[in-house]
Amino acid sequence: MPRTEHTSSPLTTGLRRFLVGVFLLIVLLFLFLPRQSQEWVRQIGGPLALILEGPLHLVATIQNSAGETWSQYIAFQQVWEENQQLKLEIQKLQGEQNRLREQAILAMDYQKLSAYQVTAPMVTVQAHIIGRKVSDWYRAMILDKGARDGIHTEMGVITEAGVVGRIVRVNPMTSIMLLLSDPNVAITGMIQSSRDEGIIKGTPQGTIHMNYLPPLSSVQVGDNIVTSGLTDDFPRGLQIGRIQQVTKAATDLFQSGEVTPIVDFSKLEGVLIITSFQPTVSLEHPQSPTTLPPK
Amino acid sequence: MMLIILYIGLCVATVVIQATFSSWLSINGIHPDLCLILACLIGFLSNEYKGLMIGLTIGLLQDLLSPGGIGINMILKGLAGTLAGATTHTVSTVTPSATSIITLVLSLGCGMASLIVAYPALKGTEAFHAISWVLVPQSLYNSILASGFFWLIHRFRHAFGVVHFAHGRR
Repeated sequence: MPRTEHTSSPLTTGLRRFLVGVFLLIVLLFLFLPRQSQEWVRQIGGPLALILEGPLHLVATIQNSAGETWSQYIAFQQVWEENQQLKLEIQKLQGEQNRLREQAILAMDYQKLSAYQVTAPMVTVQAHIIGRKVSDWYRAMILDKGARDGIHTEMGVITEAGVVGRIVRVNPMTSIMLLLSDPNVAITGMIQSSRDEGIIKGTPQGTIHMNYLPPLSSVQVGDNIVTSGLTDDFPRGLQIGRIQQVTKAATDLFQSGEVTPIVDFSKLEGVLIITSFQPTVSLEHPQSPTTLPPK
Repeated sequence: MMLIILYIGLCVATVVIQATFSSWLSINGIHPDLCLILACLIGFLSNEYKGLMIGLTIGLLQDLLSPGGIGINMILKGLAGTLAGATTHTVSTVTPSATSIITLVLSLGCGMASLIVAYPALKGTEAFHAISWVLVPQSLYNSILASGFFWLIHRFRHAFGVVHFAHGRR
């Protein structure tokens, strides 16, 4: 293919030279004109500057925004790290607070128990519950005191509120307590107001019943029940609970009642095991010092 | 010797967990019998002899912390471990579903025997309540847990170091 030489026409070359000349002339005029005369050039240039101002502002805004965002990001990073540290600190403090609160509650419980232990007219050993529910068929708890602490079977277990249950097995360092709500536990109770006696016994459902109440007993809902002191494990007058419901069928020889225990067995943590007590009841003063006033 | 110590440690740990942490596993007041589950699992995974030994040991430990007479849990858990081991002869392959059914039956049997021993003079309505509200749900719970543990051990048996694994010895 033949090589073509690109040449400009004489007319175009002339026009170019003319334009360059005009441009140089304008530049020279601009340079050599007095400053006052340059004002009109500025007036012409003003509107032209508007074309640049828009993009210029836009770029400046973007730049500023980017800068601010970056600064905020850096600041946010620091805040985030600080926040994480503070969160950890809060968790630690919450754990500490919870531990202290727990210790305070335990201390208050044990203080109450210890205060009662000192004032109660019986010798008791303080024990803590270390296990529950080894078998589903017994409502039992494991206590941290055993034969080495002088615990024997058939000893009564109480709190400052009232009766809890009875020791049924003793190991060297632990003992097993059956709760009052277990059907295998039965103690003698007494309606505090009417002095009618009956047998307190648990049921497989976990409720407590007072059976063999005299047919003419004036037992009523809300009556306070205390230990009668007829069995060897509890002194007279310890609170057991309140009558929740009284039942007597036409064919029954005795009345019976459902009892709400005074002690919440599910929240037990510390108990007192009665190791010995002196009978404080005489014929002249039938109520022991621990007997609670009638409702 | 090390294996014996390991098994005894496992039994002690299970009884302690049963006494202290079983309330965490409690669903609506129903607690699993971890001791029975362990006896059955050892029976399924090893043989009736080991099932019997573990059952007797863990039953004895459980008896020490129970209000009932010494021996009832020992006999029942030993029997459960033996029967669990013996049933591996009768099925072609011991699967989680098979362990579930066998544990359910054994749990029902052991629970019924325990109930009779604990409350010999139980009335009809009380017995019905105990069976329907405690025994059956607990047995179902035991069977689900046993099959779950069996499945886990079966899946990671190499990690657990279970060399012998019952696959039916018909």
